[in-house]
Amino acid sequence: MTATATGSGAGTSRAGLGVTALWLGPALALIVGVVLYPAVELVRASTSDYSITGLRKGAAGADNYRRVLEHPDLSTVLLNTVVWVAAVLVLSIVISLGLAQLMSKEFFGRRLLRWAVIVPWAASLVITARLFMLLLDYNYGILNQVLLSAGIVDTPVDFLGDDRFTMPSMIGVGTFVTLPFTAYVLLAGLKGIPDDVYEAARMDGASPWQAYTRITLPLLRPALMVATVLNIIYVFNSFPIVYTLNDRNPGFAHDTTITFMYKLAFKSAEKSVGMSAAAGVFNVLLILVVVLAYLRISNWKEATDA
Amino acid sequence: MSTTSIARPAASGPAGRTAGPAVQRPRGYRRVRPYVLSVAGLAVAALFALPYVVMLLDALRPSGDVLATPPSFLPREWQWGTFGTILSDARFLSWLKSSLLVASVSTVVVLVVAVPAAYFTARYRFRGRTAFLLLVLATQMFSPTALVVGIYREFFQLNLVNTYMALILTNAAFNLAFAIWILQGFFASIPQEIEEAAHLDGCGRFGTLWRVMLPLTLPGLVTTVTFTFIAAWNEYVVALTLIQDDARKPLTVGISSYVTGYEQNWDQLFAASVIAIVPVVILFAAIEKHLVGGLTAGAVK
Amino acid sequence: MNKRFAAAAAAIGGFALTLTACGGGTGAGTAGGGSASSGAAEKVTSIKLVAAEYSKENTAAFWTKFAEAYKAKTGITLEVQVVSWNDIDQQSSTMVQNNNPPDILNLNVYASYAKDDLLWSADDVLSDAVKSDLLPNFVKSGTYEGKMYGMPDLSSARALFYNKDLFAKAGIAAPPKTWDEFVTDAKKISALGDGTVGYAMPLGPEEAQAEYSIWMFNNGGDWKTDGKWSINSPQNVETLKFLKDLSVTQKVTQNNPGKTNRTDGAFALFQSGKAGMVVGFSPLAATLDKDGKVSYGTAAMPTKDGGEPSTYGVTDYLMAFKKPGNQEAVKAFYDLYYSPDQVNTFIKNEGFLPVTQSGLEVFASDTKLTTYLDTLTGAKLTPTDDPGWDRVKLAVQQSIGAAVAPDGDPQAVLDSLQKQAESGS
Repeated sequence: MTATATGSGAGTSRAGLGVTALWLGPALALIVGVVLYPAVELVRASTSDYSITGLRKGAAGADNYRRVLEHPDLSTVLLNTVVWVAAVLVLSIVISLGLAQLMSKEFFGRRLLRWAVIVPWAASLVITARLFMLLLDYNYGILNQVLLSAGIVDTPVDFLGDDRFTMPSMIGVGTFVTLPFTAYVLLAGLKGIPDDVYEAARMDGASPWQAYTRITLPLLRPALMVATVLNIIYVFNSFPIVYTLNDRNPGFAHDTTITFMYKLAFKSAEKSVGMSAAAGVFNVLLILVVVLAYLRISNWKEATDA
Repeated sequence: MSTTSIARPAASGPAGRTAGPAVQRPRGYRRVRPYVLSVAGLAVAALFALPYVVMLLDALRPSGDVLATPPSFLPREWQWGTFGTILSDARFLSWLKSSLLVASVSTVVVLVVAVPAAYFTARYRFRGRTAFLLLVLATQMFSPTALVVGIYREFFQLNLVNTYMALILTNAAFNLAFAIWILQGFFASIPQEIEEAAHLDGCGRFGTLWRVMLPLTLPGLVTTVTFTFIAAWNEYVVALTLIQDDARKPLTVGISSYVTGYEQNWDQLFAASVIAIVPVVILFAAIEKHLVGGLTAGAVK
Repeated sequence: MNKRFAAAAAAIGGFALTLTACGGGTGAGTAGGGSASSGAAEKVTSIKLVAAEYSKENTAAFWTKFAEAYKAKTGITLEVQVVSWNDIDQQSSTMVQNNNPPDILNLNVYASYAKDDLLWSADDVLSDAVKSDLLPNFVKSGTYEGKMYGMPDLSSARALFYNKDLFAKAGIAAPPKTWDEFVTDAKKISALGDGTVGYAMPLGPEEAQAEYSIWMFNNGGDWKTDGKWSINSPQNVETLKFLKDLSVTQKVTQNNPGKTNRTDGAFALFQSGKAGMVVGFSPLAATLDKDGKVSYGTAAMPTKDGGEPSTYGVTDYLMAFKKPGNQEAVKAFYDLYYSPDQVNTFIKNEGFLPVTQSGLEVFASDTKLTTYLDTLTGAKLTPTDDPGWDRVKLAVQQSIGAAVAPDGDPQAVLDSLQKQAESGS
């Protein structure tokens, strides 16, 4: 091993190509071997002309991309996606900050709390989505039953069929299933902050709020960043919640880019895997732009280089 | 604010294991604090568990009662046999076995591959470091739904369709990003001095990583294991496409059988789903205490 | 990206790049190949069936036993993959995209596959005895451009289910025969209160085309008339307006029928005893019998003016892909499947209706099925023999629901569907 701790900056070392390949090789092999090839296939599919059966009939050039861009529901879908991603992301980060704090404290029942929080994560999204479909239904939904008997509403609320409530319902469930992951990443971050830092703050006479904003939040930054970046991607690509809660609604009124992509291939009159692949490529580019923008705004390189 | 300038590890070992942040609070609050926290914690726990309590109750009533209008919270008629039916169903047990196998091995593969990569990215400057981290992140941006056609083609050509190996490789590859990113952050936040001390004690690079760094990143490792296991446990579309034999299907794919457009066994679907949560919670319960570990230097001997 | 980094990545990922290079050409079989090539090809030793899952208990179990019988009879292995109905479109598309279709595929459409020249026709793989045993209306719906490609695996027919208790409570003596009677009866049931609705109408995406077809057929309408699309014919517009009125004006349906699916919506309501009527089929009857909570009757659909009712029939298909050397194996598959022991067992287990003359005779003894069997041979189907329908059906599922909303426009929706159908075929 040639590299020694002689590095510049914050004490990192420089490494040559051979060493790099040794440490990163397995990861690169997996990524290139398993992810890259299908990604290339996706691009190839997006420039191909397919029959409704999936049979490739020839090259399509940019036709699929054009048809996606000209799709009458595209603007609705994009708007839905922005609302969905922004709302779920913000809600889950904000709530998780509190939740992680709570989970990090020592109290009777903490273990129970930690186990309970893991459950929505442990249950598969497909099942959780189906479960909430039952809970939120107009006729047999238990939530409506509760609201009715508590006198909060006079008639049931059509959470999944009424256009005013569909997106908020999806966002609620989407946030609920995103919380465990986010809270645990933040909890791990909190636990990475050494206790003596707080000790020092206490000596300096900092109030709890000051300690939180001046010490906890800045030190939590790497964890927050990981949680945010990955959540952007996961929420963008979150399929089961949007698809299942929305599957009674005709058309694309409440679809996001990912369910739009799926419906283009299998559920709508377009039934075109080429168009769907083009939408898939757009989806990746969209995520890429959002993530890069976020990384730039949040000074990601500075944070990870530190 | 730079991470390393603040993070001065407690060299005292056990002392580092004290309760979370201890900062000045008003006197009165101190006294009621344990109770307030307990009440809040249990309330939040109930909130998270509640939908799944409904799920459990749905597993304990006849299928026809699950979608009954008006709904009832408790079953109108208790039906205790569903869990027994599920657990004695050979098909269900084989799905459970497939899921356990695929999720466990995928998790191990991710750890073996991600730990060196994360450590290296955190500790070394090398050309393409940023590119590597972004490449890893980019793998997450492709939804498996979009890639499944190419994945099928690839494994078909490798003659790995209908094998666990294909699922393990795919799960490992698609979950690397999280592992590398989060572990990278943890490694980076461990002060260089600790590592240098280990070096002076004669540990090699790998020795330092194994004996010193890994124990220090336990919270990160626990999070990674939890995340990867759950992601692999819940993966659906790739398994659906790559697995042909019923016996090799994982739970997620198998349990879609319980409710079709022609025959609905809601009770069995939810009983199976409840059982499917159990291994994850058990795994989590087993490793959860390490989340408390925090940054202690006690591991350096 | 840095050059040296890229080089290293390329070297490590070398095997994947090799794959990329040969990505286009390989794949088992030549899905589009002509039938003439099959004679020269080596005979296959195994074939693959992708089967749709009708029920957990029966589908996989049946095909496993079937594969054993097939192996014993022919020496050929039958690989079975059972896929849920929700996913089977995606799975079949993935396989076709990779030039690796199964030998036999169980699906609810076939004509597009026939149009793409992917399938064996009945002339190639069905023995005469089998062909003459199939019910004529299913042969017709399975025939594309003069040749039969869509071999029916089972069938179903719809009937009007009514809740006897609610009918008695509302003082209705017999199920309605005309649309006017239907509205009157539905109003009486809705008036019972306590969340009861006269008619549970699922026009959400799951099965909108089925629900609409039934009403359409019983107003003398059809999707195609004399070989031409007639989606926006006056009587079809009248039918859709009637359905919208049921919800918006008469208020005899459940909330939001355009956003209600069949399985977890309309059926669930009827199973709860909260709906006076619903259009159902034999699997619903089986569920109701199992629950034992709703006392129900079945009747023919009401027609607009009390004329002869039409039955809406549905069949799914077992189609065979042309692959080198699989013709004999496929033929043996059909021979075995259509042997009375097999096909009737499958259909009986799943609770559906027969597709053969001999099956009709076997099932005739089951009095529960009389309502359906009497009308099965005359049942009308959707135009599954037109590849254009495969697209129109999806368009219908995604748009009919919007037409019955309070601000919905049945004429505009049907006009747009008509336009879409005409431009597609």
